[in-house]
Amino acid sequence: MAQRHRCAILAAPCSMWASILMKKILKLYINLIDRFNGVMGFICSILTIFMVLNVFVVVALRYGFSVGRIWMQELYVWTHAFVFLAASGYTLRDNGHVRIDLIYGTRSSRTKAIVNLAGSFLFALPFLGFLWKWSFPMVVRSFGNLERSSEAGGLPALYILKGAILVFCITVGLQVTALIVRCLLTLFTDENYFQPEGHGVNASPDSVRLESETV
Amino acid sequence: MLEFITPEFLAFSMFIVTIGFLLAGYPVAFTLAGSAVLFALIGAELELFNFAFLSVYPFRILGTMKSEALVAIPLFVFMGIMLEKSNLAGQLLEAMSRAMVKLPGGLGVSVVVVGALLAASTGIVGATVVTMGLMSLPIMQRAGYDPKLSTGLICASGTLGQIIPPSIVLILLGDVLQQANEQAASKQGILVPEPVTAIDLFAGALIPGLLMVGLYIAYQLFKALTDPASSPKLEGEMSLSDSGEKVSLFWAIVPPLVLILIVLGSILCGIATPTESAAIGAMGAALLALRAKSLSFRKIYDVASDSIKVTSMVFFILLGASMFSLVFRGLGGDVAVEHFLESLPGGRVTAFLLVMGVMFLLGFFLDYIEIIFMIVPIVGPILIAMGFSPLWLGVMIGLNLQTSFLTPPFGFALFYLRGVAPASVKTSDIYRGVVPFIGLQFLAMILICIFPGLVTWLPKVLF
Repeated sequence: MAQRHRCAILAAPCSMWASILMKKILKLYINLIDRFNGVMGFICSILTIFMVLNVFVVVALRYGFSVGRIWMQELYVWTHAFVFLAASGYTLRDNGHVRIDLIYGTRSSRTKAIVNLAGSFLFALPFLGFLWKWSFPMVVRSFGNLERSSEAGGLPALYILKGAILVFCITVGLQVTALIVRCLLTLFTDENYFQPEGHGVNASPDSVRLESETV
Repeated sequence: MLEFITPEFLAFSMFIVTIGFLLAGYPVAFTLAGSAVLFALIGAELELFNFAFLSVYPFRILGTMKSEALVAIPLFVFMGIMLEKSNLAGQLLEAMSRAMVKLPGGLGVSVVVVGALLAASTGIVGATVVTMGLMSLPIMQRAGYDPKLSTGLICASGTLGQIIPPSIVLILLGDVLQQANEQAASKQGILVPEPVTAIDLFAGALIPGLLMVGLYIAYQLFKALTDPASSPKLEGEMSLSDSGEKVSLFWAIVPPLVLILIVLGSILCGIATPTESAAIGAMGAALLALRAKSLSFRKIYDVASDSIKVTSMVFFILLGASMFSLVFRGLGGDVAVEHFLESLPGGRVTAFLLVMGVMFLLGFFLDYIEIIFMIVPIVGPILIAMGFSPLWLGVMIGLNLQTSFLTPPFGFALFYLRGVAPASVKTSDIYRGVVPFIGLQFLAMILICIFPGLVTWLPKVLF
């Protein structure tokens, strides 16, 4: 009964069928964003493996053969920067962004949904909006003159690195909208749409899911 | 009507309100950044804050992105998760306790050593205590250890790993202290300040870290000798004369220890930077896992995917906190704090104690990373300008926060250990178990106050 009642609030003017259809669409949306950031996570994981090898090769060349290349050094610094920015949405998807769960941890999923809804509108979206507004001109300028590294012998494409800030805004922003939809669904239906809980290191709910995504 | 709202008032309300928001449980990074934006908007609305001040923010981000020293963080995280996921850490613990079967309290001693060596990887107290708890509590219970002693040991050594090099908390602290040091120097008109790097901090934290390990081990031995029932010997002892057994113990214990020693040694001897050593550590951990036949492409991928989550989390908090401190500064909060700390009766000692007290209280709610990024940029330059050595300050902050995480009823470590401990371990056991260790923490902090050389001597000799 309660479920029907809340569904009705969600789609007050519409019929029952419309509300079921809407639920389907919203679930599809969540799935789509989750998959998108899953792919970002996959790309960043592979890049991380290459980054470890990259730093190791630089160390081996320097200490083994006294060879040092600026561009090789820049390559791993830039890879690292790209990874931690582009994987932020993926981290949010798997609830890896640390929360103070002293109080939050013991609350019901309804309360959690309200906290996440309020936080998303109050903190996450305004911050991302401002970040986009401030960094967009900088990135455009950089793309415009195909800016390269200021180091002699450095990498040619500094504009890609600067563009990573916008990638950050997009990946995190999309995941925040998915979080908002999750909260709404949790609030207005009696089902729980939250991800399995856990801290980054201990939770790896994606090991099963990724199989179907990448193959 | 709104005359009482000065920029400083706004800065401090931002601080208090943000902590309130953080407790609600929305991800820390967003909350820090978002409430800073919110207060910047309010400030701009009341014409107390110049919004153009924030236009430097993208360049701050770019500075973090281009920092070579911070690449050490994902690499150390990779190394730690690799050691943990390939079960090398668990095997090390088991092998050590079996090798020390003759020693009273040998298992407890092994827990301290493994915790100190391997708990450093993530910078999140919750994660390390949970890992240590899951790994060692079942073994200690099976051996019949007193729950008070075992939970106390696990909490203390799990949190200690955070301030023993190589730990990412020290790398982050080094980054923040370096900036604080430059600001303090420019305030005093010193043109070229003596640099404070993560390497200095590693060297400075080594002796205090070993001192803590020594104190914990001494306490365990003391308990085992005066109250043998609290830490019984392991059941089903195997004889160490069996040579096959000896070889397998050797392979479980020595390689991980050698790896850590190589990583730490190459940093402290000035041969390699932390980033370079971290790469060696990450590769080394993968090779050890390969030798233990627990390495597959799947596992490498899983380790990488877990490390990017930790790395993103850490760096996002860094970005959020840098927005927070930018707005706090823009509202003149830092100047107000400075005036306040300088006007205290009792001079710099009172200022220091007050800052430490505030950090101790904040440690009940916030983790290392948040406190380092929120508080140190504000008070660091002031205290350094008052004449405190940045290195000594960094180590004291680390020890102080660790003590805070252990203190009932709010301490982080206790809270997380409760989460993974079986119901047979009472919460009161955990609370009473940590009390002796809190005593040891304070003892160490007093020692370091009386003999600052414990921190500053090694960096001076090495570099």
